[in-house]
Amino acid sequence: MKLRKVLRIARWEVSKNAGQLDRRTVAIGLVVLLAVGALTPLVAQQGVTLDDGIYRVGVPEDSSYHDPVAQDAKFVAVEPDPAAFPGEMELLVRPDGRVVAAETPKGRAALSDFRDTVTAYNDRLMTAESDEAAAFPVYVSVAYAEQNSPTASAAGSGAVRTTAEGKQRLDGETGDGNGADSGDGGTDSSGEESEGGDEPIGAPSVGGSGSLFGGSASGGTPADVAPPFPFESLVLAFAFVLPMNFVIQAYASTILDERVNQRGELLLVSPVSREDIIAGKTLPYFAGMVAIASVTAVGITTLTPAADGVGPLGIASTAAISVAAVIPIALLFLASSFVGGMFARSFKELTFVTVTLSVFLTAYAFVPAIFTNVHPVAAISPLTLVVEALQGTGAGAGPGVGVSLGDYAFSTLPLYLSAGVLFALGAGVYREEDMFTQRSVPLKFLDALDGQISGRRSAAKLSALSIPFVFVAELLVVALLFALPVSLSMPVLLVAIAFVEEIAKSVHVYAGFAHERFERTLRSAAVLGGFSGLGFFLGEKATAVAQLVGLPDLELGQAAFGTVTGLGIEASPLVLAGLLFAPLALHTITATVTAAGATRNRNWYFGTLVVATLVHAGYNLTVVSYIG
Amino acid sequence: MIEVDDLRKEYDGFTAVEGSNFSVPDGEVFGVVGPNGAGKTTTLKMLAGLVEPTAGSASVAGYDAGDPEMRKHLGFLPEESPLYEDMTAVSYLEFFADLYDVPRNVARERIHDTLDRLDLDHRERRIGDMSKGMTRKVAIARSLVNDPDVLIYDEPASGLDPLTTNYIIEFTRDLAVSGKTVVFSAHNLFHVESICDRVAVMNDGRIVARGSVDAIREEHGRTEYHVYTSVEVAGARKENGRYRRTVESMDAVEETRELAARAGGEVEDIQTHTPSLEDIFLEIAQESPDVEGRP
Repeated sequence: MKLRKVLRIARWEVSKNAGQLDRRTVAIGLVVLLAVGALTPLVAQQGVTLDDGIYRVGVPEDSSYHDPVAQDAKFVAVEPDPAAFPGEMELLVRPDGRVVAAETPKGRAALSDFRDTVTAYNDRLMTAESDEAAAFPVYVSVAYAEQNSPTASAAGSGAVRTTAEGKQRLDGETGDGNGADSGDGGTDSSGEESEGGDEPIGAPSVGGSGSLFGGSASGGTPADVAPPFPFESLVLAFAFVLPMNFVIQAYASTILDERVNQRGELLLVSPVSREDIIAGKTLPYFAGMVAIASVTAVGITTLTPAADGVGPLGIASTAAISVAAVIPIALLFLASSFVGGMFARSFKELTFVTVTLSVFLTAYAFVPAIFTNVHPVAAISPLTLVVEALQGTGAGAGPGVGVSLGDYAFSTLPLYLSAGVLFALGAGVYREEDMFTQRSVPLKFLDALDGQISGRRSAAKLSALSIPFVFVAELLVVALLFALPVSLSMPVLLVAIAFVEEIAKSVHVYAGFAHERFERTLRSAAVLGGFSGLGFFLGEKATAVAQLVGLPDLELGQAAFGTVTGLGIEASPLVLAGLLFAPLALHTITATVTAAGATRNRNWYFGTLVVATLVHAGYNLTVVSYIG
Repeated sequence: MIEVDDLRKEYDGFTAVEGSNFSVPDGEVFGVVGPNGAGKTTTLKMLAGLVEPTAGSASVAGYDAGDPEMRKHLGFLPEESPLYEDMTAVSYLEFFADLYDVPRNVARERIHDTLDRLDLDHRERRIGDMSKGMTRKVAIARSLVNDPDVLIYDEPASGLDPLTTNYIIEFTRDLAVSGKTVVFSAHNLFHVESICDRVAVMNDGRIVARGSVDAIREEHGRTEYHVYTSVEVAGARKENGRYRRTVESMDAVEETRELAARAGGEVEDIQTHTPSLEDIFLEIAQESPDVEGRP
């Protein structure tokens, strides 16, 4: 690859596309971008205040209710004129202190919110009280434990127990009254996590004091103990991931544009490699994504209340970590859009492909990040690293302190590898013979796989290269299913994982048969199945990286990855060796079954895929049952 | 300059080109003709390194057809050349000059010189706003931006009006005169006949005839004599009040004279008809089954 030519193509890509925009469109786009850029941090800092002033409360200034009403933006204090009630107000505080609500749905809603507001106001007053013992004569410690875990019953009796699923019960024992925690991994009155917890699962940020964008620190009542709304993740997904969706539309379009009417043929015949062309065309969009992410990261880092007192170096460091975490997402967005642009036959089809990819990738980045601070499943998403970097809850204790390399590798490596494989897959068909043909997306996909086959051993290579996708798909399945009851999620997970893996091991073999690469005999199928199973087995061992963050501590994590690694299982060395190498036999057998189906035709292939999936799921169930 | 040795190309079991052999020396204009689907474009794309042969080999300017170094010596003009509509002609050509490592000042001079020769004005106009003929001229200018030794032009005048077509054919002839080696395909055989030193006639993926136009005419063409008589003779057709008998030898002409005399008439006129390349092509094509696009 020649850097000078890559840069020249990148410059051409920018100037070519710049010519497509008139000045008015550019101006409108800039205004929209600036508006989004300006509003995002503000919204992040202040929250959305759509309900400001929706309730009118007639309350005298000397009433003790006046201050709570005045301090809550939902309420507007008005003159307590009984004649104007209920027409001009929803609530009225009578001279005797009683509060009456209008007999309307809005009046009842106002009363409900009024109660919450007064309670919160009282909490704040108590928190500000110098005599803590007087304000909070009863302390409740909270310990989070895994469901069915022995520690759940052993840890701190008399505490509020919250299971991993967030169920709570109050045992009612009083504390020592000095505000100290007695439970491991519990929270103090300010809601921050205490150190030295034994539990691998962190507690939610009670009352929001640990929240990224500020919030009330006055909580601490049992009613406040609840999984927080994933506002940070929502904002981060909006701020970091949403702009990517716009960029990939333009990127995928420019890739497809090269294929329309064979426009890109002249570039192919010029003295530049296809890698130069692809890199040059991708570079501006990647740079744009990084630039947007950098501005967003600096903006959010600077405006985060937690950043108060942190110097420019700390802010720069946090922003750099955020951008580094977002880069693999950007690359995967671009890589999948590139493949979409190479496979789609028309802009209409491309829109469908990019929207599908966009939804899938956004879900992958966003859904696990919802559970940041709540559950280790959040570690799947690089956005979690961003939240941790901004909160300082990663490896350090404040914004600007880096996340660990292990966390970074776990969250991003599958994305980097997937992006690399996708670019390679698309580059394989970036040639005259493939890029200008009008074939359906599935057939193009098979063409792309076939382009990577050079012999029977390629089956092993392609199976191994599918591991990042398998890993990503399985992590997503875990993330989507983990909130369901285990009795329901476990069988679905086992079948889903088996299906994903069987497809990964067989689809390229099917592509090879479909393109007459291999002889259609059972012997050939057996050899290819052997290679495919071996390649997959070796690649699968890479999923041991999951151990880095203890994901297999989850029951679903064990189901997804414990069957692969055999780690964390207490058994004799012989059994462990069996568990270690049994997958090799499984993968070889099931890959041979699907390869045998692929030698016939598509229907036979799908039929054997179902059989292989059931066999694989049965194996998984057996191993999971053994692990217990 | 160009050597083609037993080229073959298959697509999913379909053979597009089979057993293609020819060579083109320096400075020659070589034509490739044939009906649609004969394998002309596939052959040219294999020469340009765009399509990988299934078997056989081709070399251009001393390099293998797939060698990136070869591309520096090649100017390729595909049959359809949709350009980047939002660029101007000059910026488009400057971009390709950069890719070919042509120094800026040299490129600028060469681009304007070529556009002058092609009589292309409005050089700063968006390509999307240009006519088809102007766009084709830009595409031709692009093929010359690296001052290549070899030019491969696939249907350079396809879809253009007669005036522009003639202009481009003349321009191609001038390129050959200036020493470029040109491989040229066209549907209009008159153009091929008028500028090509040698031709290869392709049909069904195979070269069915090759050589100079005269040699092919000699090999495949038959000189015909149209003998016009005042009376009807065997094998004659009435035409404008007299009878025409078409024969292929002077003996047959003499026989026609005797037949007319025996019927009380005489031979009024004898015309010699030399077949054009198009006639020969049609005849060759008709000899092969399953020819698409036969007129």
